[in-house]
Amino acid sequence: MSIFRRPNRPRIADEVRFHRDQLIADYIARGLTADEARRRAFVEFGNANAIEEQVRDVRGRWIADVASDLRYALRTLGRAPAFAAVAILSLALGIGANTAIFTIINAVMLRSLPVAEPQRLVQFARLRGDGRPGAMSYPPFVHFRDRLPSISGAFAQWHSEQAVSVDGEDELLMTAAVTGDYFRVLGVGAEAGRLLTAADEVPVPTAAVISDAYWHRRFGRDPSAIGRSLAIRTRVYTIVGVTSPSFGGIRPGIRYDVIVPLVMTESQRRESTFNVLSVMGRLRPGATVEHANAEMQVIWSAFQTEAARGLPERARADMLRARAAVLPASDGINPLRYDFSSPLFILMGLVLLVLLLVCVNLSGLLLARATARQHEIAIRLAIGASRVRVIRQLLTESLVLALAGGAVGLAIAGWLGRLLVSLFANGVALDLDVTPDWSVLAFTAAVSLAVCVLAGLAPAAQAVRGTISGPLKGARATGTPRVGKLGKLSKLIVAAQLAISMMLVVGATLFVGSLLRLYRVDRGFDARPVIVAAVRHDGSYTPERSQVVQAAIVDRLRAVPGVASASATQVLPLSGGLWSRDVKVEGSAVGGDQPENVGFNVIAPAYFATLGTTLIAGREFDARDGGDAPVAIVNETFARAFFGDGPALGRRVTSLDVTYTIVGVVRDAKYQNLRDGIIRTMYIPWTLRSEDPPSRYHFLVRFASPESAAVVASLDRAVRDADPGLRLRSAISYATLVDRSLVAERLLATLAGMFGALALLIAALGVFGLLTFHVARRTSEFGLRMALGAGRSTLMGLVFRDVAVMITAGVTVGTAMSLTVTGLAQKTLFGVTPSDPLVFATAAAVLSAAALLAAWLPARRAARVDPLIALRVE
Amino acid sequence: MPSDSQRSDLLQGTLDMLILKVIALGPIHGYAIAQRLQQMSADVLQVQQGSLYPALHRLEKRRWVRAVWAATDTGRDARFYTLTSVGRRQLDEQREYWDRLSNAISGVLRTAE
Repeated sequence: MSIFRRPNRPRIADEVRFHRDQLIADYIARGLTADEARRRAFVEFGNANAIEEQVRDVRGRWIADVASDLRYALRTLGRAPAFAAVAILSLALGIGANTAIFTIINAVMLRSLPVAEPQRLVQFARLRGDGRPGAMSYPPFVHFRDRLPSISGAFAQWHSEQAVSVDGEDELLMTAAVTGDYFRVLGVGAEAGRLLTAADEVPVPTAAVISDAYWHRRFGRDPSAIGRSLAIRTRVYTIVGVTSPSFGGIRPGIRYDVIVPLVMTESQRRESTFNVLSVMGRLRPGATVEHANAEMQVIWSAFQTEAARGLPERARADMLRARAAVLPASDGINPLRYDFSSPLFILMGLVLLVLLLVCVNLSGLLLARATARQHEIAIRLAIGASRVRVIRQLLTESLVLALAGGAVGLAIAGWLGRLLVSLFANGVALDLDVTPDWSVLAFTAAVSLAVCVLAGLAPAAQAVRGTISGPLKGARATGTPRVGKLGKLSKLIVAAQLAISMMLVVGATLFVGSLLRLYRVDRGFDARPVIVAAVRHDGSYTPERSQVVQAAIVDRLRAVPGVASASATQVLPLSGGLWSRDVKVEGSAVGGDQPENVGFNVIAPAYFATLGTTLIAGREFDARDGGDAPVAIVNETFARAFFGDGPALGRRVTSLDVTYTIVGVVRDAKYQNLRDGIIRTMYIPWTLRSEDPPSRYHFLVRFASPESAAVVASLDRAVRDADPGLRLRSAISYATLVDRSLVAERLLATLAGMFGALALLIAALGVFGLLTFHVARRTSEFGLRMALGAGRSTLMGLVFRDVAVMITAGVTVGTAMSLTVTGLAQKTLFGVTPSDPLVFATAAAVLSAAALLAAWLPARRAARVDPLIALRVE
Repeated sequence: MPSDSQRSDLLQGTLDMLILKVIALGPIHGYAIAQRLQQMSADVLQVQQGSLYPALHRLEKRRWVRAVWAATDTGRDARFYTLTSVGRRQLDEQREYWDRLSNAISGVLRTAE
């Protein structure tokens, strides 16, 4: 208070009182009695408060008023701590969830790389069949780097996870091998030492740069780390510098801890289909992405013609079909944007609905409070407060709630964000920075203000409507305020809650239903007790040695106690796709002379037994299948496509000049993901591929009983026994792999399910609260009806009729609103359509059941009204 | 309040002018302004407190008048208003305008007779 009592303060009340006192003094001077003078002065003067208010209006009174409104709001909220706690917590949840999702959207899609002028960065990409940008080979990179006039520089990166060894200790790290201009083009600074330059790009490079995070973790930011050596495979590097702390690499979500100069073999540099490089460039000042892209199209077609000349016929066609583009890359090379944008936007929609529900709920609570405070508000209006003034005061209260909710929400958003990121990552390294920045803060503030207006305006406006005299006259005595309008608005609020809940329940049903159907899809294999292991080896093996070591690994794994069978494959089912190959199938009606494209996989003996895929005809591969008589196994779809109902065994398939004899037919298995169809697939034995090292394979181990984590140690031992140079790189259950193929779906189903349940709870509480209030208010009416002979069922019917109206309205509106938006999630759904009648019927049934259940208790109370007591209340 | 000022544009302008005129005579508090206006207009003009005080504070906000708290003859604190130089110019302008306006109106009324 004291800070507002400045020397120059107008003291309006004093001034007005002085006037009135002078008036009284004057009347007395004119001979009136003191009482009479006072009376006349008061009559003449009218409402002193009103005059003061008018003067304050003239003076403009924001600061003082806002301060006093705030004080008042804090005081009234302090008197209702339970209400304040419920309101703030529910708002915190709603705002926190929104902030968390926005934080991730911000990190995944809105943030630029922490480099100089990121808007000038572009990506050079080969466009894949699905239109997404893919990696490039070395020849086009050099071609673009040297010929594109719009760019001032370009670099390529080949990244992989590698065992990095420091002081003899191995650690699996993300590493990037980069061309010389990498740091210059990006414009990244060094935290310590120096960064790589073009001079480091030599045939046998020795310089390595580490990330600030790795420097911190591994060396405790010790400056002497510079000059230490680290080894990757057989190469030894000297650490020459540390990148600036904000820089983690060019791919959001992945932090590269070690960056070394790129080394490629001569054949790798020549091969124009060896697509392993991420390529980025920097535009010259003033150049645009469109411009660079136009230049690239010209250069690309010249490159294609040139490159295609040296290729065999089929590859030539592929090369000429290939497309490339220059794309904006201020956020680096960011596949997360493609993977996560659709689930993230769906989640954003869902949490906005949750927030809306929380708002409407708060609206209902505020309305109930306004009803209870009607007497107080009426007094304030009666003694001269304007309605706008009272509305502002009530809005201040919701503002305080919204801001408090926002602050708590912001606090939990960080935690929620990390939780969500770990759910998205699902065991895979995903290094997203979810610490709030200014855009997150702005978002939260905006959401909080919107909440305040949304939740507070209607109840505040309602509170100052109607007559003043009503509430002041006796109505307070029975605790029954104006009935009509308040009842209508609160019914509207509950109906709105039901409508929003309907949308959330529909969302939950859609996403949970999709997930359940995906898990029920026939995968073509049963890998429940199967563990998938990968191995790594530092040195390289000769082809002969590879064959021996691989066979030994499978043998040793099979010998581990509890293991039923073991095998290996190059491509795992549900891992995203198969190799593709062109084949000619002898005596097949399909294709004729032209080769046909089929899926292709390399497997070890006993693969199908281990994976749990049924062999329909013929046999699996065994150790005798060698190079002199190549054999193959095909899946049902392959057999049906090429041989119809005829036998497949013994038929011959030619691919890349090798002719294979089909020795087996197996059931179809899904290789891409659970949604996509079956690919015509051909399997060949690994004995035919001596050039592939053991690290190329996934080793499968089927256990006799459900597998346990304890076996990992024995698997590692088995691998080391097979060859001392081998290490177990990872071992995870197949169930986990299946889960990983459904990250987005599982996330959506989990969260949508939670939100749906929350919506049901809030809707039910809304109905319960309103009806309890309603029944209490109508106690005397019910008592009277009962005294006049109404039965219990009649009274319950009265209550349920209200509920039925609200449910019908809520479900109808909710259904209509859902139908307008569910289409947006079409791609994410599986086995249900966005307007599936069954889904909507289920959601409506569940919601109605919850609402009716919530109405049951108040309805029963209505039926149990004791007429005598009820009538005595009046 | 905007609605008030719109409702009685002329009246308010006139009231402002009259108040400025009274204040121009020397430092004076609100009650005395009301008394003086009533006397000077021979009881024709009676200013409601509900109009007087908002008007005074509006003038103060426009910096046409200045206000200080000071003791009256009877020793009570009152808020005394004085004219600023801006206020004096305003008064002159308004007065000139008023003269022109009333002359014009009287002219019209005379010719109409």
